[in-house]
Order: sequence, then structure tokens, then C-alpha cells
Amino acid sequence: MSAWSTHHWNRRSVLRTAMGLAAAGGLAACGGNTGRDGGGPGAGKRLVQYFHAYGEAGTEQAVRRYAEAYEEADVTTQWITGSNFESKLFASLLTDKAPDVFEFHPQIQLVRSGQVADLTDLVEPVKDDFNPADIRSHTVDGKIYGIRMIDDPQFFFYRRSMFEKAGVGVPATLDELLATAAELTTDKVKGIYLGNTLHPVVNPMIWASGADTLDEKNEIAYHTDGVVEGFRTLRKLFTSGDLLLDAPTDFWDPSALTQGLTAIQWCGMWAMPQMQQALGDDLGIFPFPKVTAAGKPAVTNGGWSMFVNAKGENVEAAKEYVKWLWIDQKEYQEDWALSYGFHIPPRTSIAESADKLKSGLPAEGVRLFNEFGHFDNIGWTQAMITALEDVLADCVRKGGDPERALDKADETVGRELRKLFG
Amino acid sequence: MRTSTPAPKAAEPGPQGPPRRPGRSAGRPGRPGGPGGPGGGVLGSAGLYAATCLAAFLFLVPFYLIVRNALSTDPEITGEEWTFFPSKIQWGNITEPFDDPTVDFARSLWNSAVVGVLHTVGTLLVCSLAGYGLARIPYRHADKVFYAVLGTLMVPTAVTFVPSFVLVSSLGWVDSYRGLIVPGLFSGFTCFLFRQYFLGFPRELEEAARVDGLGYWGAYWRVVVPNSLNFFAAIATITFISGWNSFLWPLVIGQDPSAWTVQVALSSYMTNQTVNFHLIFMATAISILPLVCVFLFLQRWLVQGIAQTGIKG
Amino acid sequence: MSTTPARDAARPAPAEGSPRPRRPLRTGSTFAFWLFTGPFLLGLLIFVYVPILWSAWLSFFEARFTVTPSEFTGFENYRVMLTDEQFMGSLGTFTVFAALIVPTTWALSLALALAVNRLRFMRAFFRSVFFLPTAVSYVAASLVWKMSLFNGVRFGLANTVLGVFGVDDTAWLADPNPPWYWLVIVTVRLWLQAGFYMILFLAALQNIPRELYEAAAIDGARPGWQTFRYITLPQLRATSAAVVLLLLVAAYQAFDEFFNLLSKTTWGRPPLVELYYKALGDNQDYGAGSAGALILTLLICLVTLLQGRFMGFGRGEDAR
Repeated sequence: MSAWSTHHWNRRSVLRTAMGLAAAGGLAACGGNTGRDGGGPGAGKRLVQYFHAYGEAGTEQAVRRYAEAYEEADVTTQWITGSNFESKLFASLLTDKAPDVFEFHPQIQLVRSGQVADLTDLVEPVKDDFNPADIRSHTVDGKIYGIRMIDDPQFFFYRRSMFEKAGVGVPATLDELLATAAELTTDKVKGIYLGNTLHPVVNPMIWASGADTLDEKNEIAYHTDGVVEGFRTLRKLFTSGDLLLDAPTDFWDPSALTQGLTAIQWCGMWAMPQMQQALGDDLGIFPFPKVTAAGKPAVTNGGWSMFVNAKGENVEAAKEYVKWLWIDQKEYQEDWALSYGFHIPPRTSIAESADKLKSGLPAEGVRLFNEFGHFDNIGWTQAMITALEDVLADCVRKGGDPERALDKADETVGRELRKLFG
Repeated sequence: MRTSTPAPKAAEPGPQGPPRRPGRSAGRPGRPGGPGGPGGGVLGSAGLYAATCLAAFLFLVPFYLIVRNALSTDPEITGEEWTFFPSKIQWGNITEPFDDPTVDFARSLWNSAVVGVLHTVGTLLVCSLAGYGLARIPYRHADKVFYAVLGTLMVPTAVTFVPSFVLVSSLGWVDSYRGLIVPGLFSGFTCFLFRQYFLGFPRELEEAARVDGLGYWGAYWRVVVPNSLNFFAAIATITFISGWNSFLWPLVIGQDPSAWTVQVALSSYMTNQTVNFHLIFMATAISILPLVCVFLFLQRWLVQGIAQTGIKG
Repeated sequence: MSTTPARDAARPAPAEGSPRPRRPLRTGSTFAFWLFTGPFLLGLLIFVYVPILWSAWLSFFEARFTVTPSEFTGFENYRVMLTDEQFMGSLGTFTVFAALIVPTTWALSLALALAVNRLRFMRAFFRSVFFLPTAVSYVAASLVWKMSLFNGVRFGLANTVLGVFGVDDTAWLADPNPPWYWLVIVTVRLWLQAGFYMILFLAALQNIPRELYEAAAIDGARPGWQTFRYITLPQLRATSAAVVLLLLVAAYQAFDEFFNLLSKTTWGRPPLVELYYKALGDNQDYGAGSAGALILTLLICLVTLLQGRFMGFGRGEDAR
């Protein structure tokens, strides 16, 4: 199960293109009759919702079951496999085949283009029951544009047995992490795995160096000496021979750890049940260690949120449905977050009663989430994400100068920021 | 346009050699042990066979990997020790892609078959007619028309890709066979190959047909086509392969999983949440199998046909 | 099918027959021309020319997230693309790729053709083996290369084989130093396309008049390198030139394997991939994308025309 709130792998960006093409097609197709029935204001008794295909068994059935239980409208679910989610979502959003309700991540361009509906009046009454950070990450100019369904923290998972055998403890700094990885590396097992492209650790590394992607005023905050230092250290790790590279599965899949290819892996809480099943107690977690003395350990808090298509035909009915399911039906919300994989419910009341997250490793995960987690920044757009990923590629994988790579990113990000915030 | 054609999308070879009559190249039998080599001797011959066997071995390795992985369990594939062949062949894996609830693999195979066949038939029809017209029918501006066709060969896919998609979707052809097939029919390269071929077609045959009172149309269908079946078969195979294997275009056109072709389904396995090795490789094997069969079956014609594409010494 | 070609061909229909049917044919030929080419040309117009023109139009506009833009920006998109480090770098990548793939494919397919041509036994078998990969898609081949042949862990075949010799696991794709990714990319394409070009060479080899070799033998040329160098190779010149050109164009259009094998890189991106990611990707900047694509088109036209100067592009056939 995935929650790449900010991280994407290659195929996704391609699909994003595909979706762009499709979106373009949607524009051109405007006015065409696609034969959708139940149109017209007030007639909104049919709703379409889009979900990306979650990995665990039972998730699809669960989503359909919730929809079935809703009596005010006939809700059909599109369950979109593999990497085609964004492609399909964005393609259809601009056509009249568009979904009324869809899951996605908060991104400001959706708000600016009037694509997603203002859900403030839905959330406002229960606002205090939501994780304030989740409210903040969905708020633009005081209005709330989406409802968080699940929070998915990402951190390091490690094999306790291998740590014991190598006689090492949990590292507290990035330098220590390198040393630990070196100790753990044998001819069969690599010390650490950060995904094939390493890009999931860009953000946590920035945070762990005491910097941030953007500051309060939406200005560049990532270009600091600490971050430069972080990139240099990652480069050291990359060339050390202790880093697992070109594994057949990427970071979101627990296989590299469970198959014994690595002793430490960056992954998400969603995979915890799978790992526990495969490894039993031979599993521990820790946050991205601090890079500099001024830094603090960091965890990426990703997740998925519900949005209402503001350009749909049944906005009101869609809002009603979203309110019913993701505000009112706490039972379903709990089921969704806890029955099929481990996610942290954004609703405080549900999180507090979630027994599965109260003890052992899951509880530890919740602690890391609360203590070290960084949430989505709605202003940090995909173009900026890509710019920073390019920095990583240039200076960590290719061995270039971090300062120069960051200067290049500043240009791209600056251009984006000017477009978005003037 | 649209993605990986095994046949190169290309241009005029400009051979200066003597014109050859394609229909008759079969008249020159292959000469085993023919030109270009040492007279032989047991030693040379053994060396030749050894080298060829080695090359063949290397060429077969990827096929071996597909079969091995498809019939193994995941722990065997990912284990610490290399297993050359599954200790117990997992025949049950064969049905697994079809049982997967998230991807309708059978449907994608069917879609690919439909698209492949219609794409092939349509391309052959449209492009061969045009190629013949350009090669054989005198018309004042035929040159200009030909260059207009040739010009499209130079335009990279990326230029036309986006607007093509927009165009097709504004026609409402997304998620439809039409959208998958029609835009790919007008291949400048295939038209070009047909033209080159028809230029070398023995003129006497057609002229005789016309004496019999057949117009261009009649001569074409009654004389030219029946005498060019080899070539048609070759182009058909190449076109079918490119239709079956194309990826990018079906990826954007097939928005709905029900309109996916097998390549799109395959790529969705690669990016799925949990990588299931034997399933992925079984699906790959199944997607390759039809073409391998077509190949082995049609190879003789294919080889002859490619030899006739006008690209030769 | 009453008119068999054999009978027609045998029929003497020269002098008095030929002028008569020609005249009515000429008058009807304009109609016939359009009848034959019409459907194709119409399709070409709609599905190729309209998109090209649309693209050209887009390249002068600020067209982000839209293909019906309204903000005219003149040559701004062209300026952006021409000063873009990565776009220009992609031309370098293409050059490297072409320099690697063209000679290797040429040499391998020629070698295979020579070998197969000389076999006495199991000739069809070997030809099939070498030709078979042509049937495999780039998607499937990339999958095999990435997941099983060249993955960076112990159960990748390449690493397993090297492991026997005590070599550590190599990250073939993730680490650009040394650039092993070229090995992966070149081998996948080599495997996929060598068989096709082998067939072309094979056909050409079989068209070399046997007498040349016999004459050479009489002149005392030793079979082997000498006959290859002085007879086979020159006789294959036209085919070789054609193959090289085809390979160049195919390399220029390369997309699928780069796209499937390399991820999140800033290197190893040939022009199409670069355009795809850069201009059509995150920003969906159709304006800049179109501009880049048109720049590429101009380039390839230029190269083709230059090459035509030397090789008589598109003319040789007409002259016959």
C-alpha cells in the first residue's frame, strides 16, 4: 500500500505526462456528449469516485462496501490499478466524465484552477477532532479544500537480528548511519536501502538538517549549508558500497528488507503488517537521523485525502457523500485506516481508540509520526519536487557539486513560486 | 509514429545497385557455405559452429530467464543461491495472470489481438494502395505528393504526439478500438516501403493485364497483389508486431482498464505496489508467445519479404 | 483470377498494342492516382499534418496545462529550449548513444549474417534464434533486463555470473560512475534489433554473384579475410549504408528502453525522453515541448538533406 504523498517514481512522472495529454484531450472534448446520465442540478443521485489501487487485500471491497451503505446517492467506484491513477484522474477531470469525488494529495494548483471544491463548511464543525497539521496542509487562504483519510509516515525499518549480530545500535546522526551501514554490510546483505533512486529521502534529509522546503512566506528554505552537507554525506553513502542499489522493488515495497537484501530500509508504515508477518519481532524503526548538530530527526508524513470536483455536475451531492463517509462514519474511517494495513487516522478521536496502534512497533510508529513528522506543504508543487530530485541525482548519484546543483534548482523553484504566489 | 516499431522507421537507402526484380529473388537459392568465407576445413567449420552456438546461447538467455522466472516460486527467484531451473515447475503460475482481480489480463490480450489484426489489415490496405499509386500511376504532381509523404518520416513522434492525442480525444475516440487503431494506419514508412517495392515490380505483368482491358484498379487486385503475397506477408508481420508491441499510444488512449492492451497491462504489473516476480514473468511470457508463434510460422515469408523491401545491395 | 501472370507475361504485346491502351489510361490516371492514394493522404493529413501544424502553432504560445492557449509569446519557447542545459545535453546523449549502438549493431548483425550464411546444418534454426528477439516488445525486454538480468542484487543474472569470479554486486543502472547503464541500454537494443538487420545482410549476401568469388579464387585471393575485404564488403556497401541510416534514425527515435530503464536521472536522456519529461511532464508545458520538438525536426531535416547531398536521397529510385 502506498502513500507517496510527495514521492513518485519514474513511471509516475511519465503517467503524469500521459495524464496531461489526456487532460488536454479533455479540454478539446468539452462539449462532446459522453452520454453520462443523471446530469443537471438537483438530479445528482449518481456519483463516481476514484481510488488508486491500494495493495492490501480487502481494500477495494471495503471502499465498495462503504459506498453501498450510502443511501442518498448511487456511488460507483473506479479502482485504478498500478500507476495509472493520476493519468486517469487528470484526464477525466477536465471532461464531463469526471469523477465527483476523488482521492489525491493537497496541491495548490488544484485550488488555484478551481478544480477542487471548498469543503470548509464540512470540516469546520469537527475541525478540532482532526490533526491540526492535516488541516493546515489542506488550507489555502483560510479555506479547507480536502479531507485527510489516512496519514502514512515514512521512516527507517531495520532488522534487529542483524543489528545485534553486527553489534551496532540505532544511529543518531547521518554520519553514524553511514558507519552503521558499513558494519551491517556483508557479501550477501547490503547495509541500507533508500529506494532505487534515493529520492524518498530528499525531504527528510532537508528537514533533518534543520532546513525546510519552503518557509512561512513561501520562499526557498532548502538552500542551507546543512543541506549541502547532507547531500555530501549521502554521496559518501552512495559510493561506500554499503547502499543497496538497483533492487527489483522500490522503497514502497517491503521485499528488499523481507528478502534479506538489506538490513535497513526506508519505507512507509503501510508496509508494517507485511513486514511483521514476514519477520516477526525481528523488526525495528527509527527516524531519519539528524544531519547536523542543529538538525532534528525527521519523518515524512504522507497520506491520501478526499477531494470534491468543483467542476462536476453534482457538487452538492458529492459534498454530502464525502461528509457522510469521511466526517460522520467513524466506524468506516477506522476500518479504512486499520484493517488492511497500518495508517494513522487523522481524526484524533479515532486515533486515540485505535488499539492496534497502541502497543509495540505500531505505537512506536505513531510516536515517530507525532514527534518527528513533517506534513505536506500544499505550496510545494510537483515541479519543485522534481527540481530537488534533480539535485539529488546530480550531486549524490552523479557526484556533482551540491552548491551548483542547488543553484540550478533555485532557478526552477523560483520560477514556480513566482507563478504561484506572484 | 507511436512507439517501438521493430522495423525501423526510416528513409531512403539510396542503393545504386542494379535494379532487381523482387518477385524473382527466390530464383537465387541460398548458398550454404557460400561466399565470403574461408573454404572451410574441419577446424574452421568447428570454430564457426562454436562461435554461432555461443551467440545463439546468449540470444536465448533472456528467453530462458522469462521461462525460468515464470515457472518458479518467488523465493526461488530471489533466493541467495541461483537456481537454474525451478525444483518443481509451477504450472499453476500459468493461470495466475488470468485470476488476478486487479488487472483483466485476458481482456488485454483480446484487445491486443483485435488491435493487432485490424491495425495490420488497415495498414496493408491503405498503405499498399498509396504506395502503388505513387510508384506506378503517372500524375503530374506525384513527386510533390511523394515528398509530402517522405517528409513525415523526419518528424519525430514527440512533435505530433500531443496534438494527435488531443485530436483523437476530441473525436471521442479515447478508450475505443478506433482510437487505438485508426491514427496508426497512415504510416509514411510503410507507404514508402510499398512504393519502393512496386517500383521494382515487373512492369510487363501489369501492362499485359491492361491489354486485357483491366484498369489500374483491376490490374492491381488481379495481378499485382496476387504476385506480391510474399511481400505483403512480410509487411503484415512487421506491422502486426509493431501493433502488438506498441506502448505509448495505447497507454494514453486506454484510459479505462477495459481498453488496455497487453503492453499496458504488463507495464502496470511493473509499477504495482507489490512486485510479484513469477506473475510478472508469466504475463510477459504469455504476451510474447503469440508473436513468437507467428514468427516461427511465418519466418520464411518474412525473411524473403524483408529482403525485398528494397534495402539491399 | 483468370489472368495468371505467367500467361500475361508470355503474351507478346509490344509495338501495336502498347500505344493504344496507354492513352485511355493517361486520361484516367489522375483519377486513378487519387483513388489509390486518396485514403492514405486524407489520413495522413488528419492524423499527421494537422497535429504537426497544431504543434507548430502551440510552440508560439504559453501553453501550460492547455492545448488551446491564448497567450502569444513569440519565440520565447524557442529561446527557453535552446538555452536549456538539459535539452541541449540530450543531443549529446543521442550522439553517445548513436556512437555506441550504430557500430555495434552493424558489426553484430553483419557477423551473424556471415556466420549463418556459411552454415551447412541447422541454418534455419540459428537464423530463427537470432531473429526471434525481433518479436519481443521494448516493454517486455526492458522488464527482463531490469528485473532479472541486470538488477543490482545477488539474484540478478549478471551479478550472479560475476559473483562466481568474486566480483561484488554491481549497480548497473543507479550509479552513473562508471556508466554501466550504457551497457544495459545498448545490449537490450542490440538483442532486439540485431536479428532484423541480420536478415537484411543475409539477403544482400545471397545476392552477391558467385562468379566474383570464383574469379577471385582464380586470381589467387585467399578465402577468408581477403575475399571478405575485397569482395564481400564492397558488394555490401549499399546495404551497409542503408542499415547505418536506418539505425541512426531508429536511435534518434529511441524512447522506450531509456524510459523504462532509467528513472529520476539527469543523464542518459536522449531527446525524446528529455522532451517528454521536461516539457510534457510535470509542467505539461505544451508550448515549450512543441518548440523543442520542432527544433529537433529542423535538425533531422537538415541532416537528412545534407546526407541527401552525398547519397542522392530519394532520387536514385526515380531515376531508374
